[in-house]
Amino acid sequence: MKPIADFAKHFGTNLSLDERFVFKKANRYFLINEKLRSLISDDFFYAGTYLGKDKGDVFFPSFSLLAMIAERKEANSVVVDDKSEWLFICGRDVFWRGINKVTGMRKKGELTLVLNTYGECLGFGKMTSDSKVKQGGQKVAVENISDIGDFLRRERRK
Amino acid sequence: MSGKEFFVNRYNELGWKYKPVLLKQAIRINTMNADENEVIKRLKARGVELEKIPFLLNGYWVTKSKVSVGATTEYLLGLYSIQEAAAQIPATIFTDLRDRTVLDACAAPGGKTIQLADLMRNTGAIIALDVEKRRLTALSNQLERCRVKNAIVYFCDARQASNLKVQFDCVLLDVPCSGNFAADKQWFKNRTLKDIERNAAVQRNILAEAAKIVKPDGEIVYSTCSLEPEENELNMDWAIRNLNLKTEKLDCYGEQAPTDIYGKKLDSSIGNCRRIWPGLTQGFFICKLRKRARSE
Repeated sequence: MKPIADFAKHFGTNLSLDERFVFKKANRYFLINEKLRSLISDDFFYAGTYLGKDKGDVFFPSFSLLAMIAERKEANSVVVDDKSEWLFICGRDVFWRGINKVTGMRKKGELTLVLNTYGECLGFGKMTSDSKVKQGGQKVAVENISDIGDFLRRERRK
Repeated sequence: MSGKEFFVNRYNELGWKYKPVLLKQAIRINTMNADENEVIKRLKARGVELEKIPFLLNGYWVTKSKVSVGATTEYLLGLYSIQEAAAQIPATIFTDLRDRTVLDACAAPGGKTIQLADLMRNTGAIIALDVEKRRLTALSNQLERCRVKNAIVYFCDARQASNLKVQFDCVLLDVPCSGNFAADKQWFKNRTLKDIERNAAVQRNILAEAAKIVKPDGEIVYSTCSLEPEENELNMDWAIRNLNLKTEKLDCYGEQAPTDIYGKKLDSSIGNCRRIWPGLTQGFFICKLRKRARSE
């Protein structure tokens, strides 16, 4: 599925999913297994692993898809400290001073996963500056695009 | 026929003396996603004090917390769920869930669906149904948060589950019920015996449908958070008399269900069911039914 593969490429990695097991329902994509495929009918509401959705030309990934990308060692990512983890899941940006480690591209405008110290994916964002040395710790390094705090925001929006 | 006195007298006749209850918040570790001890350690570091619930597999009471347990990173990553202690019992009653085809007939908001997936280690398949579309969105969000991979969700009334054309090894019927006073402060004000009888009739329809779609020798776990025998023992008595089902003895928290309900003698096998009066948990009722094999 092109939108998913294209999205993964933004993180400097390839993700190839077996198309026989990727189902599209309206604008949403789901990855299912053999067993589910034998049982599923067209009118399902949700199935297997939710991968994300199209909105116009933009693909919005699910947190499961981000976690799948995070399993790729080469994927762009930053590991943040505990304080930055909390701020990030509250919807805030990541400052350079809160970053413990950077993997992959660190160019302005690149997408990067945001991981906690356990290597768990908290969401993703866009690099806003090129390097730690030039910008200093007080500058924003990653602009928050999506974070797992969204699960709570969805509940509140209901 | 309503009001606190009316219902309290009924409980008294069933052998339980009414007392007000303050429920403790409980969580369940999703061991498919994380090591139990690791999660406990991480929560402790956040100022969450837990006490193991002695009659549950992965359940803990939250005894003290500096943070909201519904807003930690660990919660948002699906490492645990918030689930009332008694509500953690029904999914554990099935004999063996791995690689099975399981129906969660009244699934939203999804606490038990996630627990089923956890017990199944994401193997097999869960078909999860609910009749309210709004609740399906909440269910789907929970499945995504907890990284459940083996569920298909349908907008479907449990009373029409045979339209799915699937035969199930296991069926969880955590049916819509009247609830109980421990979980609802206004319960005595809002409920009448007529409501309860109406709910009991819906529950019998759901049971009848489940009996059609469970395989011979397959298992149905029926549960409610109601204390009213019309929704519990009396419905189970009806089910074993009319639906080719038999009860199986349960070895879980709770007491033996009564078989004499306000003078009506029920089948003695109803004593296999478990009734949980409010106290350590909210009120609950659980029954394990097995569809008789063709040869029986």
